[in-house]
Amino acid sequence: MSFLGFGRPQPSSAEKIAAVEAEMKLMSDMLNRLNRACAKKCTPNDYREGDLNKGESVCLDRCAAKFFDVHLKVSEQMQNEAQARGGAAGGGGFGLGA
Amino acid sequence: MDPTGLGLNATESRELEQRLQKRQMKEFMGLFSNLVDHCFMSCVDDFTSKSLSTRETGCITRCVQKQMALSQRLSERFAEHNAAMGAQPPK
Repeated sequence: MSFLGFGRPQPSSAEKIAAVEAEMKLMSDMLNRLNRACAKKCTPNDYREGDLNKGESVCLDRCAAKFFDVHLKVSEQMQNEAQARGGAAGGGGFGLGA
Repeated sequence: MDPTGLGLNATESRELEQRLQKRQMKEFMGLFSNLVDHCFMSCVDDFTSKSLSTRETGCITRCVQKQMALSQRLSERFAEHNAAMGAQPPK
């Protein structure tokens, strides 16, 4: 309908900006949660040393990988659940960057 | 000019940049206060004096150092994960 558009209405500036912002927020929230979760799981709170030791580093790497896995699994399961419930709330998705 | 790939024009890019800067500031402050809380709770538990003891001061230094290293490392893993996700075709 529009001059250059292909039938799809163009998102307004505000919408585009809001979308990018929402994406950023999602990312930084996830990073914050990752930090909190893996710090809690992998490092003791007594701070006898200031550097990450070998064991902690490996733990953090594995923790991050598992955190992402859990993220994916939960998102898949919730999507399935939502679809099974009639699929009215389809789409969305919690997968990051997908 | 437009790193988002959303076809934002100059005005929009500027608006977005301003918003992101604000957000970044807010996030930085959040990080800072979390760190203060965390290291205070982990290191300070003796209130027989009003000044930080050498032990507490050392603990705080190590706490900050370690938390920084930790979030640095996790950010790297996070970036790698996102890059890997972005490489796949969207579902």
